[in-house]
Amino acid sequence: MSVPADLITTAPVPDTAAPFGPFGTAGRVPGWARSLEIVIPGAILAALLFFCFIWPLVYPVPKPIGGSLLTPHLPLWSPGHILGTDIVGDDVMSRILYGGRVSFEVAAAVQVIGLVIGGSLGMAAAYRGGWVEAVLMRILDVFLAFPSLVLVLAIADGLGPSETHVIWALSFFSIPAFARVARAATLRLRDQPFVVASRLSGSRPLTIMFRHLVPNMWPQLLTFSLLGASLTIILEGALDFLGYGIPPPAASWGNMIASGQQLISVYPSFVVVPSVFLLVTAICLNVLGDGLRARWGTR
Amino acid sequence: MNTSVTVQPARWAGGARARRLARSPVLRLAGRRILTAIPVLWGVTLLTFITLSALPGDAASALLGINATPAELRAFRIKLHLNEPFWVRYGHWLGGALTGNLGTSFSGGQSVASTIGQRLPVTLELVIYAMVITMVVSVPLAVLCARRPRGIIDRLSMVLSMASISIAPYVLALLLVIVFAVDTSIFPAIGYQSIGAGLAGNLRDVTLPSIILALPLIGFYTRFLRGDLLEQMQSEDYIVTARAKGLSDWQILTRHALRNSFIGLMTVIGLNLATLIGVTVIVEQIFSLPGIGYELLQSISNRNVPVVEGIVLVFGAAVVLANLVTDLLYSVLDPRIRHVRSR
Repeated sequence: MSVPADLITTAPVPDTAAPFGPFGTAGRVPGWARSLEIVIPGAILAALLFFCFIWPLVYPVPKPIGGSLLTPHLPLWSPGHILGTDIVGDDVMSRILYGGRVSFEVAAAVQVIGLVIGGSLGMAAAYRGGWVEAVLMRILDVFLAFPSLVLVLAIADGLGPSETHVIWALSFFSIPAFARVARAATLRLRDQPFVVASRLSGSRPLTIMFRHLVPNMWPQLLTFSLLGASLTIILEGALDFLGYGIPPPAASWGNMIASGQQLISVYPSFVVVPSVFLLVTAICLNVLGDGLRARWGTR
Repeated sequence: MNTSVTVQPARWAGGARARRLARSPVLRLAGRRILTAIPVLWGVTLLTFITLSALPGDAASALLGINATPAELRAFRIKLHLNEPFWVRYGHWLGGALTGNLGTSFSGGQSVASTIGQRLPVTLELVIYAMVITMVVSVPLAVLCARRPRGIIDRLSMVLSMASISIAPYVLALLLVIVFAVDTSIFPAIGYQSIGAGLAGNLRDVTLPSIILALPLIGFYTRFLRGDLLEQMQSEDYIVTARAKGLSDWQILTRHALRNSFIGLMTVIGLNLATLIGVTVIVEQIFSLPGIGYELLQSISNRNVPVVEGIVLVFGAAVVLANLVTDLLYSVLDPRIRHVRSR
C-alpha cells in the first residue's frame, strides 16, 4: 500500500483527540468551539427542556387534550397549529411538548433512582468486600441473566399503565446497571494510596465513600446516566407502543407514535413528528454522553 | 499455572488422562462457571415467581374473563392449585423443573416444553439471522473506518452508527414496513411461514425483523471494533514488529489487529445477548411472529405462570451459556488469560 507507515501511528486517537469541526485543532478558537460534540447536543437538549417545561408556562400554547373536533388533522404549518392537529383536533405541537415532559421526567427519575439505590449499593458492597459483595454479585448476575424487559412488561402489565409504574418498572433496568458501574469504579479506587491513607488516618467508611470515592467516580456515573437516559426514553416509548405505558389521552411521544401508526399511510406526519423528536433527543443524549466520556477520559 | 509437578506412577492410563484433563484450566473454568450458573438460574426463576405472584390478578381471572362466576373461579383455582400458598406452589414447580418437567400451560393444557419447542426455533432463527447480518456489515465497515481514521468513510459511518444506536426499534419497524412492505411490497408487513413450508418464503418473512434487530447492533459493534482496532494500531508492540518486517498497513489491520480485536468484540456480544433477547419480544409483537417473545407477552398478561417460568428459564440459560462460551473462547484464544489464575 502506498500510505506511509507512520501515517497511522501519528493519526490522533479519535476518542481522546480534539474534536473535529470547522475549526479543526487550530490554535485560536474559542474554548466552546473546540468541544462542539459537547456544546451542540447540550444546546439542543437545553432547548428541548426549555420548550417542554418552561415555554408552556410563559406562552399560551393550546391544551394537549380537548382540542376542537371541528378542526382535525390540519396539515403542518397551519396558522395557530405549527405542527397541525391530530385525528381528534388536538394541537400536535402542544402534545409534543407535554409528551416530552413525560419522556424527560421518566428518563430523569429512572436515572436518579438507579444512581441513588444501585450506585450506593454497588459502592458500599464493593468497599465492604467479603460476603456482602459476593451476595450482591450473585444478585447482579441474576439480573444480568434476566431479560429485564420481561420484568418491566410484567410490572407494567400487573400494575396498569401510569407514569409512576413506568418509572418503577424501568428502574429495574437502571438499578443493577448502576450497581455494576459503581462496583467496578469502587474496586478500582479502593486500594489507591489516597483512600488507604484516609483509612489509616481513621476516617469512617461513610466519610471515605462520600468524600473520596464519590467525587472520583461521579464523572463516570454521569456519562453512564446520559447514555442510560437515551435508552430509557426509547424503552418508555416501547412500553407505550405495546400498550403498557402512558395511557391516552395523556400525551407521550411513544403513544403518539403508537396511535399514529394506524393512519400512517394517510397522515404520515402523526408518526414522523414524534419519531423525529424521539430520535433527536436520543442522539443528543448519546453524543453528549460519548463526548463527556472522551473529555473526562473515563471508560 | 500448575508448577508443582510430582511424578506419580500412573495406576491406569485413563486415570492419568482424566487427571490431566481435570487440571486443564479451560475445563476448570467451565466447571466453575457452570456451578455458579445454577444459583443464578434458580434466582431468575424465583424472581419471576415472586413478581408474578405479587402483581394483582391471577390466571383464573385473566383466562376466564370478567363474566366468570365466583364458583367457576374457585373451581379453576383449585384445579390449578392457585389457592395454595406461594412457597408450596413454587416448591411444586421447582421440584418438577429439577426433574426435567416444566409443567403444563394453564390455558389449553399443552406441556410447557412442547410450547417452547414449537416457539423457540422462530426466535433462534431471528437472533442468528440478525447476528449474521450484524457481523457481515460491521466487521468490514469497522476495518474500513480504522484504515483511514477521520476519512470520509469513517466520519460517515460514525454518524450513521450513532443514528442507528439512537433510533427506537418500533420507529425503525414502522419506517421499514412503509418502505419495503407498503410502498414496494418486497417483504411482507406481518406474518410467518415456517422453514418447512419453503425457505424462500421463510427468509422473506424474517428479513425485516432481523434487520431491525441488527441495525442498532451494527452501529454499536462498528463503533466498538473501530475504537479497539485503532487502539491496537497505536500502542501494540506486535504492530511495530509487523510493520518492521514490511507488511502493508492493510495486512497488519486485517491479519493482526483484527484478530486481537475480536477477543474484545466477543465479550461485548456475550453481554449484549440479554438486550437482544429483550428486543426480540418487541419485534415479534410488531410483526406477529410466533416466536418465544410473542408467547411470553401473552403468557404474562394471562398470568400463565408455568409458561412464563419456562421461557424465562430458557432466556436465562441462553445468557449464562453465552457468557460461558465467551469466557472459554477467551481463554482458548488468549494464552495470557488462560494462565493467569482468576480470583
